[in-house]
Amino acid sequence: MIELLTGLLGHAVLSGSVLALAALGEVIAERSGVTNLGVEGLMSLGAVVAVMTVAAIPHPWVGLLMAGLVGGLGAGVLALASVVLRANQVLCGVAVTFLGLGLSATIGRPVAGMPVPVIFEPVSVPMLSSIPVIGPAVFAQNILVYFIYLLLPLIVHFWLFRTRYGLDLRAVGENPAAADAVGVPVTKLRVMAVMIGGILAGFAGADLTLAVVPVWSDGMIAGRGWIAVALVIFAGYRPVWAVASGLLFGLVTAIGFMGQARGWPVAPAVLNTLPYLGTIGCIIVPILAFPRLRRAMAAPAALATPYHRTGR
Amino acid sequence: MSSSRTRLTVVPTQRILVGRGLALLAALLIVAVTLAAMGRSPITLFGLVMHSTVGSRFGLEDLALFMTPLMLTGAAVWVGIRVNLWNIGAEGQFYAGATAATAVGLFTGLPPALAIPAMIVAGMAAGMAWIFVPAVARAWLGVSEIVTTLLLNFVASLLVYYLATGPWADRVTGALASTERLHVILPDIWGVVHWGFPLAVFTVVVLGVLLARSRFGYETAIAGANPEAARYAGISVAPRVLAVLLLSGGLAGLAGMVEVAGTVHRLQGGIANNYGYLGIVVALLARGSCLSLIPAALLMAFILDTGIVLQTTQISASAVLAITGLLVLAIAVGDELAAYARVKKTS
Repeated sequence: MIELLTGLLGHAVLSGSVLALAALGEVIAERSGVTNLGVEGLMSLGAVVAVMTVAAIPHPWVGLLMAGLVGGLGAGVLALASVVLRANQVLCGVAVTFLGLGLSATIGRPVAGMPVPVIFEPVSVPMLSSIPVIGPAVFAQNILVYFIYLLLPLIVHFWLFRTRYGLDLRAVGENPAAADAVGVPVTKLRVMAVMIGGILAGFAGADLTLAVVPVWSDGMIAGRGWIAVALVIFAGYRPVWAVASGLLFGLVTAIGFMGQARGWPVAPAVLNTLPYLGTIGCIIVPILAFPRLRRAMAAPAALATPYHRTGR
Repeated sequence: MSSSRTRLTVVPTQRILVGRGLALLAALLIVAVTLAAMGRSPITLFGLVMHSTVGSRFGLEDLALFMTPLMLTGAAVWVGIRVNLWNIGAEGQFYAGATAATAVGLFTGLPPALAIPAMIVAGMAAGMAWIFVPAVARAWLGVSEIVTTLLLNFVASLLVYYLATGPWADRVTGALASTERLHVILPDIWGVVHWGFPLAVFTVVVLGVLLARSRFGYETAIAGANPEAARYAGISVAPRVLAVLLLSGGLAGLAGMVEVAGTVHRLQGGIANNYGYLGIVVALLARGSCLSLIPAALLMAFILDTGIVLQTTQISASAVLAITGLLVLAIAVGDELAAYARVKKTS
């Protein structure tokens, strides 16, 4: 029983880190008023580039860095189309997803199915890792996990809610015309936010292939990018909550895995629907229970609306 | 100078067509350069693509086959966008419709004259059922329909895979990847083109007329454009949001029924073939006009068919997906750029 619990929690923390990272990136983009529906494609690119990089240069950090770079560049294409040229954000997002999934499968063919030579190895935190259940599950993870759960959300929270730059970014997402009137560079901030979001999506892909499932196969992102977009809504566009909800969904995924490993009398395909159904339930149920949440969790007012200076 | 350019709020169709033409040209140029860099001759491939799509009988039949589901999923997404609702889950509703139609076609033993209408009703009802929870959540709780409809796509795809390889798998041939052939199918009318094609065209035309002329179309248009104004005018918004989303799900379900009963003839994993997602593209290509769904579906079918032709020349399916993404991105940008016009100063 103890072993089961440790395994479940450990798996939840690990697989949740991928979702947390991608969701955090999407929070930044959406706070600036841009829906990036290309996360799925960007994660896929990040995942494959990480594997290809470590196959050439066997160092996980280099792989992670390259994945972030490619994710940022891909998001740059999206930002160019949907922010600078102000094209339809939904259309551009779907296009970037197609582009990312197609490109990653094409360039990743040589490394498909190949075991990844180096991964982020688990690092045990002295003392803490000997706590029963929680110790091995939480404090014996790879270094990325600590960054993703402890450091990054705090940095992003501080940036968005405690600094001038964060205030500007949120102003651009709520009322770009007003922000523009007081001299905040709307286009520049939106492009930056989308690209930072893309870098984190690339990192999330690398996290998947260099720490969670150490192999590249076509279609392995399997909707994680879309779940990340959903988590942002669930988390009410808040960075710390986005990371926490990533962990929650890691848990839902882990239950499915556990069911398969322990031979529950349910088909694997049916167990695999759990994370998706869980996400939907978690978006709908809280609002059903607490209608007041609707206001507190509302999206930025200018979300998905391109800003035209002349159209004020 | 940028000051002499202005953004038109209503963009003439002619400008859109020119913008898209230029965008497609730019995207094709990128593809041609990439192919040339890979050591393939773009001109030979272009000739082959033209011959295998619009240049031959078989090519035209294939185009019509691709157009059929695209018109319907396009219509499904279009009725939503018209009132500012985004059904990104047409893919899932397509699976649901295909599954329900398969159930009727395999297990009821009805004669064709009854079975086909029953399959249509079952397919549409299943599509509606699949969107029901997101629709109610959107209408009364304000939960974004984009994400809830989308997540159900993954659920539908997994369940269809499970059914086709598990309980409904074909025990006759033992192939285990799909169900057995449906006992009732839509009859062919021209080569491999079946009755689904005229049915889809008819649906689009009826939908266009109905939404433009009926009270329902008028009230939903107002509710979508300005919910506050609609409420003020005594139109309750939530039931109309529900109705539009159910209509959308029903159309996507119909697309699934037509595909399984007309083209594929058996339920298998991946039968939706991205038609639900491409429906979003078709709907956005059609812009405000319902009848434009037909040429939009033709363009998308041409792109898909091009992909199939390229695959026969050892260019992978994933490269084709990337090319599709590039074309869609180019069209999105082209549409926006077409809205900028040089204007004469009047003052």
